[in-house]
Amino acid sequence: MAEISEAPDSDSSKLLGSDSKAPQRPDSEPEFDPKLMRKTKPGLKRLFLTFSVLFSFLLGFPFLWKSVEIYRSPLPFREIDSLSTQLRSDTLLFPLHFHALFVGFDSDPDRLRWSILSEITKLTSQNPKCSDNYTLSVTVDLGSRCLRGPTSSPHSSSYQCGSVTGDDFVQNDDVVVDERLASVFGGKNNEYSMAVVKGVSERAVVGKYRHAWMVVGDGSDVEMAVVKVAEVLIKVFINGGREEGLIRNEFMPVGADGKIVLSFNLLNADPHDWVYDWDFEKIDDTLLTPMIEALGPVANISVESQVLYHTPKASFSYWNQKLESYVFSTKDLPFFVNSNEWHLDTSIAAGGRSKILQFAVYVPSAKECPLLLQLPNGEISKTNGFISPMWGGVIVWNPQGCLKDSEFKPSAKNIIPIQDLENMFEVFIGQFRQLFGFKSLNVYTGASGDWNLLPSERGFTEWELDVLSRQHTCFNLHSCATTLGSLSRLVQSLPRMIIKDEIGKQVKLSLEAAKLALSNASSGVYEFSAASSSQARSLAEDAFFHPSIMSVSYYSFEHCFAVYSPFFLPVSMHVVLAALRELRRYKQEKAKYLAWKAKANTAT
Amino acid sequence: METFINPKSLFHLLLLPCLLLYSSIAYNSSPVEAAMHTNNWAVLVCTSRFWFNYRHMANTLSLYRTVKRLGIPDERIILMLADDMACNTRNKYPAQVFNNENHRLNLYGDNVEVDYRGYEVTVENFLRVLTGRHETAVPRSKRLLSDEGSHILLYMTGHGGDEFLKFQDSEELQSHDLADAVKQMKEKHRFKELLIMVDTCQAATLFNQLQSPGVLAIGSSMKGENSYSHHLDSDVGVSVVDRFTYYTLAFFERLNIYDNASLSSLFSSYNPSLLMSTAYYRKDLYKRRLEEVPVTNFFGSVMETIHTDAAYKALSRRNSGRFEDEMSLDQSVHHIKRRMLIKVNDGDEIHDINPEGEEGASKCPWSTFRNKFQKAENVDSLLNYGLVAMIPLLVISTWLVQ
Repeated sequence: MAEISEAPDSDSSKLLGSDSKAPQRPDSEPEFDPKLMRKTKPGLKRLFLTFSVLFSFLLGFPFLWKSVEIYRSPLPFREIDSLSTQLRSDTLLFPLHFHALFVGFDSDPDRLRWSILSEITKLTSQNPKCSDNYTLSVTVDLGSRCLRGPTSSPHSSSYQCGSVTGDDFVQNDDVVVDERLASVFGGKNNEYSMAVVKGVSERAVVGKYRHAWMVVGDGSDVEMAVVKVAEVLIKVFINGGREEGLIRNEFMPVGADGKIVLSFNLLNADPHDWVYDWDFEKIDDTLLTPMIEALGPVANISVESQVLYHTPKASFSYWNQKLESYVFSTKDLPFFVNSNEWHLDTSIAAGGRSKILQFAVYVPSAKECPLLLQLPNGEISKTNGFISPMWGGVIVWNPQGCLKDSEFKPSAKNIIPIQDLENMFEVFIGQFRQLFGFKSLNVYTGASGDWNLLPSERGFTEWELDVLSRQHTCFNLHSCATTLGSLSRLVQSLPRMIIKDEIGKQVKLSLEAAKLALSNASSGVYEFSAASSSQARSLAEDAFFHPSIMSVSYYSFEHCFAVYSPFFLPVSMHVVLAALRELRRYKQEKAKYLAWKAKANTAT
Repeated sequence: METFINPKSLFHLLLLPCLLLYSSIAYNSSPVEAAMHTNNWAVLVCTSRFWFNYRHMANTLSLYRTVKRLGIPDERIILMLADDMACNTRNKYPAQVFNNENHRLNLYGDNVEVDYRGYEVTVENFLRVLTGRHETAVPRSKRLLSDEGSHILLYMTGHGGDEFLKFQDSEELQSHDLADAVKQMKEKHRFKELLIMVDTCQAATLFNQLQSPGVLAIGSSMKGENSYSHHLDSDVGVSVVDRFTYYTLAFFERLNIYDNASLSSLFSSYNPSLLMSTAYYRKDLYKRRLEEVPVTNFFGSVMETIHTDAAYKALSRRNSGRFEDEMSLDQSVHHIKRRMLIKVNDGDEIHDINPEGEEGASKCPWSTFRNKFQKAENVDSLLNYGLVAMIPLLVISTWLVQ
């Protein structure tokens, strides 16, 4: 009670001012309200305790975060983008040099050069993806001296004046002429030469290396020769004998890992009639191996063979009395391959991303023998074979037993005679060329005349290999850039997907190979650029098709949340609330203490 | 101050950048050269287990038989059957599967090649087949090896619902997963055209989220409708075929490999009163007109063929007597070496790029600690480290309390 009665006094004494000091009052007892004041300073231990728990949680949080972090190998997104833009903007340029040699003509080389260039620009199609950067030099050989245009070109100056004369072309053997010209021109990597000679018999031939020649009659016009020269330079040396510049995708049968498996199958339709076998190894060594080595930069090719029995075809044929044989037409060709009975795809050496090309030799049964293919114009096919792009080719071979069945023994195992086997494999090589987009005929029929294309023992001539290398480099680099672009978009759109180190390494190696291919291509080394571009593409495909990139199996954010929140949410709530409560309590106690202190100070 | 904003000049000002933008877009979008149609593929999926889902198996096998009869070979068919009905112990006719109570046709006769069987039919494997992301050891017969000229038929049957399809009674394929897989296929040019046929309840909802061009989809029922079975075979004891598939097969039994009936005739042959549901198809993503597309574009196999005009006569110049003198020693050695089977070690290439970057770790303890930290795959051990780190804090705080 004393407190209450005294309270107004102390208040009034406070109000009266500091001069009424009230020294007579003992100064230990100003009004003490335990609810509003406290005498001792509040301790910090409780606060410290709760905050240490909160702090330890906060300290542990980065460890937890790191432990649930998704491992993503860093991909070089910027370099991928720059590769795409580089390929798109400055189109891939292959440097080429053309050299035209005129023997026995009396014209100005610069004027000839100008007219050839204008013809060339008429013929060049707009090809946005990959184009060629060509230069042209013309030499007119007048026997005693040579006129060159442009005079300062380093390429044409390598030609020795007078090395090619009209006499070289007198004989009719193209191979000899070809070798002679090869020794003259040299045939370096990206130089193509063309010789126009005045002679007796007209002839136009493209050689096996990197040159062509044309023999024109005496009275012919040099302008017409110019048109033909331009045509062979563009249509044959650059486009490979096709009309459009770029090979379509269905004529690039190279697998995503840069490998092709050639599967040769000998199909005996009805073994009751006869059974044929072949000596594949010999043929493989002599005919196929050079071709496979020649195509080394473009694709890594392996060969398999098998013999199958009981493999009838699925289409029908009818007996033609005039030809005395069974005939099937080109309308039946799409239905010829009987996939139910022809178990061709049993390769064990082919990996998942290689391309398999099937080559089948069909030996018909006695009921359908001999079997001939009739073309729409009524003629009988000389090869009895056809291809299906991206699949392979089929040849029908009629055994001798059909034709003269008197002295034929059906039961013994027969071997296909070597001569027939050689002919068959020549057709196979023609079909293989067709699968790559070339023609199997040895004649190029252009707008201004025909050209003979000399065949090569390796299946492809040097200039054809150049065309293939260029086109495949172009295709592979664009495919690599597209794949890497798709991969980077995919990776960026799924921020919680794990990306393994392997993928990162494959992407880096692919980008390095692509850069190497680009630099080789711009310096004109086609083989190396084709090989590195195919490597770039296969690495990009490996990275994109890596089995760990599966959207079903990555951690979604909901998953993470659902796993950790049942523990952390309640606990954190309690910890934070405790800390806040302790803080508020401390503040209240501190306020109380300060109030008491202030009161005590005013009381004294 | 007078800013001279003439609407005409403003228009001209805006026109120039628009033109630039337009020309850049037109330049960048390279002309899409349509690839030639080279082959046909079929992916046939049955997703249900258990004996009472016999009809789903029969559906899939009937369609398998149809596409094989029309010419697609086994090597281009991926058949996924989630359970085995032919050799099921409840099957009164062992090794036989029928789709009609007259038992005229045994679907499981000869020449059935099942690529994914039983528990291998999972959503993950299905998506791996579509996108092509397999482990290196998966054989070629289990891969969808299509290219940019392929037409793919994707047929799925089982139990489904609104935007999902049930796999094996334990997981689901959602419509956005399917749409995502199709989008990735299109990016990688794994198909030229795709036809999706779904025979489940509320089938049309499964392709709601598709957006890739070149896709045509048909489902046996719309949202809210069920798809029903056709009839019950009292001998086998279960329903043996679904209505949608039954009428599809009825259409195809009238065809052979030479016919060119169009897709629109197939789609209009479905009668809603007979199906007891509305067969809905989605053609907004498909550019060609359905009247012009023959069904053999998807269901059969017509190869593009080109006649070979001539042989490549480089070798006729050689004398054929060359073969006899090739028995020299080094030739035969060379010959033997090449005859060895080339082992394709796919695994080697990848293992060589093993991430061993950590072996170059410095001696600094912090970096070794960091490396060990990163290598620690066990999350538990990581938490243990964290907990251990908190003990000193606890000790200090308890000391302070006293």
